[in-house]
Amino acid sequence: MGLSALLRIARWEVLKGTETVDRRSVMGFLAAVAVTAALAAALSGASVTHDAGIYRIGVDEDSPYHEPAAADPTFALVPAGPAAVGDGRADIVVVDGRFRVADDRKGRAALAEFRTTVRNYNDRRMDAEVEEDESDLGAAFPVVVDLEYVEQDAPGGGGPGTDGAGSGGGTGGGGASGGDGSQGGAAGDVGGTGGDVAAPRIGGQPLLAGEQSGTPSGIQPPFPLGSLLLAFLFVVPMNFVIQAYGASILRERINRRGELLLVAPVAPTDIVFGKTLPYFAAILGVSVVTAVGVGGGPIAVAAVAPIAMLFLSATFLAAMFARSFKELTFLTVTISVGLTSYAFVPAVFTEVTPIALISPLTIVVRDLLGESTSAAEYAFSTGPLVLSSAVLFLLGTGIYREEDLFTQRPVHLKALDALASRVSGPLTVGLLTVAVIPFVLLAELLAVALLFVFPAPLSIPVLLVAVALVEELAKSAHVYAAYHHDIFERRVTSALGVGAASGVGFFLGEKLTLVAQLVNLPGIVEGRTAFPEAAAVGTGQLLVLLLAPLVLHVVTASVSAVGASRSWGTYVATYGIAVLLHVAYNAGVLLRVA
Amino acid sequence: MSRDPRRDPRLVVARRELASLRSEKTIVLAVAIQLFVAGFSSFLVVGLVSMYDPGAVGGTNMDLGVAGDETSQLVRAADEAGSVDPTVYSSVDAAEEAFRAGGVDALVLTERLDSGQVRAVVRIPEGSVRTTLDVVQVRSVLVTYERRLRDRRAGSLDRPLLREPPAASSSPYFGFTYTVLVPLLLFMPVFIGGSVAVDSLSEEMERGTFELLRVAPTTPVDILEGKLLATAGPVPAQAALWIGLLRLNGTRVVHVPELLVLTAAMAGAVSALGLVVAAATRDRRFAQFLYSSGLLALFGATLLLPENPANTIARLAVGSPGPATYVALAGYVAIGAVAVGSVRLLPRVVDADHL
Repeated sequence: MGLSALLRIARWEVLKGTETVDRRSVMGFLAAVAVTAALAAALSGASVTHDAGIYRIGVDEDSPYHEPAAADPTFALVPAGPAAVGDGRADIVVVDGRFRVADDRKGRAALAEFRTTVRNYNDRRMDAEVEEDESDLGAAFPVVVDLEYVEQDAPGGGGPGTDGAGSGGGTGGGGASGGDGSQGGAAGDVGGTGGDVAAPRIGGQPLLAGEQSGTPSGIQPPFPLGSLLLAFLFVVPMNFVIQAYGASILRERINRRGELLLVAPVAPTDIVFGKTLPYFAAILGVSVVTAVGVGGGPIAVAAVAPIAMLFLSATFLAAMFARSFKELTFLTVTISVGLTSYAFVPAVFTEVTPIALISPLTIVVRDLLGESTSAAEYAFSTGPLVLSSAVLFLLGTGIYREEDLFTQRPVHLKALDALASRVSGPLTVGLLTVAVIPFVLLAELLAVALLFVFPAPLSIPVLLVAVALVEELAKSAHVYAAYHHDIFERRVTSALGVGAASGVGFFLGEKLTLVAQLVNLPGIVEGRTAFPEAAAVGTGQLLVLLLAPLVLHVVTASVSAVGASRSWGTYVATYGIAVLLHVAYNAGVLLRVA
Repeated sequence: MSRDPRRDPRLVVARRELASLRSEKTIVLAVAIQLFVAGFSSFLVVGLVSMYDPGAVGGTNMDLGVAGDETSQLVRAADEAGSVDPTVYSSVDAAEEAFRAGGVDALVLTERLDSGQVRAVVRIPEGSVRTTLDVVQVRSVLVTYERRLRDRRAGSLDRPLLREPPAASSSPYFGFTYTVLVPLLLFMPVFIGGSVAVDSLSEEMERGTFELLRVAPTTPVDILEGKLLATAGPVPAQAALWIGLLRLNGTRVVHVPELLVLTAAMAGAVSALGLVVAAATRDRRFAQFLYSSGLLALFGATLLLPENPANTIARLAVGSPGPATYVALAGYVAIGAVAVGSVRLLPRVVDADHL
């Protein structure tokens, strides 16, 4: 790979972009940027309500409930009258302080909403009360809450010494809340933080949950609204950049335009990485600006970079597969949706569990909080992403050649081509199985993060099946591709050999999951389901534990390989059998450990 | 028009566009993506709400340790709130000991202040899935406690407290379904339709096939209108499909005709925008970028309206449309009609050689 050739192609890529875009487009672009900036400024001042007027309430003007109803945009006021509910003109009618509610889901939802409205109204009245006469504080806001999160020793766990000292000190002094006179004022703004962490605030809520004090209704559970918004700030630009990147790759394939570059004395990898470099640099640049804007450090950018790599590598492969811009659009939208959710879902749990570390965005959030991230945690979080994008580029550059670039085939056949292009014998089958292990990790981690909020009796069986589906697919997809391309002889003996190679490859690759132990993922019940061996290590059955999964992977991979050597139908059937075997094995291991 | 309607060049172009979409099976992918986004956002909300809603998670009661100056009213509030089992400890130290040993799930330590207020220090174990649920449960106890104390002390207040309406057992997802899910499902086909319009036109220009079409017995206007028909036409059908599926799922969506007119108008406007952007830029890389960022900006701008489009859809779907809703609907229809009409002018405005 020549660095100078790579850089030259990168320069072309940038220059070509500026030439084809005429002045009018640039003006349009600048106008769009200006409008967006103006909008952002306008929106930050405006109050946007998404549920304005979805419930209708009928209440007389002299009723005490008129004022709260009129003040809450969620409720549309309709002419009062006892018959309004029966006629379907209102969801709630207040007559003489009594509530008449429509007997359907909407009526009940409206009543529950109005209860909150009245509660907030009472709080506002009490605010005004205290403002007039501070001596009423004890009656207006009788309760002041200081919320603290404390590490609780596991039942039967080690010595309670260290923690106790720290938390005991906080009780008596309680320096967090200010003088008593200001308590009433503090009631209005929700959750003043302890002051030591300068976390940005969004809409009056603390960006990240921490110590809070205020009225009881002002206490917010640790829902990281802020980290979700941050996730979007970093990921949204990537969705735009991959649109342009994918189009640039696909352009080369239209009307044989890329042929000139292909016959030039440069390697396909130079072309691919030269074309990729400007887009990667663009994402990094935007990320740096974003990080500076929200107060992040170098580690935040370092955590975002692997996400950008995965976005680009997946888009590259999509552009290699797509037959037209329309198809590419759908593929890139699929990539956007899938990867955004991968970055997004785990970040929801930043404050709650180590599962959040699956997404590198969690590292960004921690960095903003001033918390540190260890090298092992960084490796756990970004490793699967980096390896996955490497594999995607590997598969894509494998078909960056004349006969594949300029032919149009359905996407699934192109995918088979890409897989088969990397297979030449049993050894390469095993190596490719090792290479797809990062995807298996990604898929299983995402499944853990998705199912984690559900109770264990529901999530465990679903997870067992999901894990088996993913792992068996990883062991057999390229085997089927190889048979589809007639790389191996269609005989049972050869199929058994290929399957065994794939199984051994998977066994070796799966030892990567030991990384999961670094962040104590098996401590969570869903984590144990996805990585049963990791949980079992240390029980003293080492020999069995090492051999059993090897046998399992070889057997299931051979079963699906025999099916793959016949036809699509038999492949699907044997794949199903392999999944069933796998589920049974994992369930057995789990039961033994438990 | 005196032409045979089946040979109308616009319909021919539209049929060809749809056929190419069908042959690439991208329609299937499009529907799958929309299903995924809808299912995913519902999943997220259901998962998160169940973390907040004590009743939704198997009804396990929480053991709450209570100690300090004020305990009797707090215990009564806990009994009233339900799903919390309070235990009173004689001293703060004893309560903290029990909390550390895991005997109680959370701790409330009370202290009487000089101002007459009660300070409640709440200790919640950090770093577990239960943390969120614990906070919500303790909060409901403390809110009840606050109300009880207010009632007892109401005599010294100038403003009487307004009695709270009775509690209602309502699905916490009700509002979300109408204000987020339904608008999302109706907007997605609109946005995707516009994106396909951009691709369809810029691909013809990239491949040079638009030139070929110009020697065919059609006018550029016919071609553009055919593309518009093919990309915006299926949108109301998709919207109807989503509404039907929601109904099957037990979500009653009303004012369906108005909703379909609204999505048709939006689809026409957004697809026309896509064609204009593609014709103006001619470079697909840039066109798609300009289209999506422009659409984002437009969507952001509508949030400044007194009633934004998502809100209009929500009010129609849930059955609470007001006068502003119908004004907005008429406005969108007018915008859609103008945008569709403006496609006719496109070949004249943009240099014919460009197309």
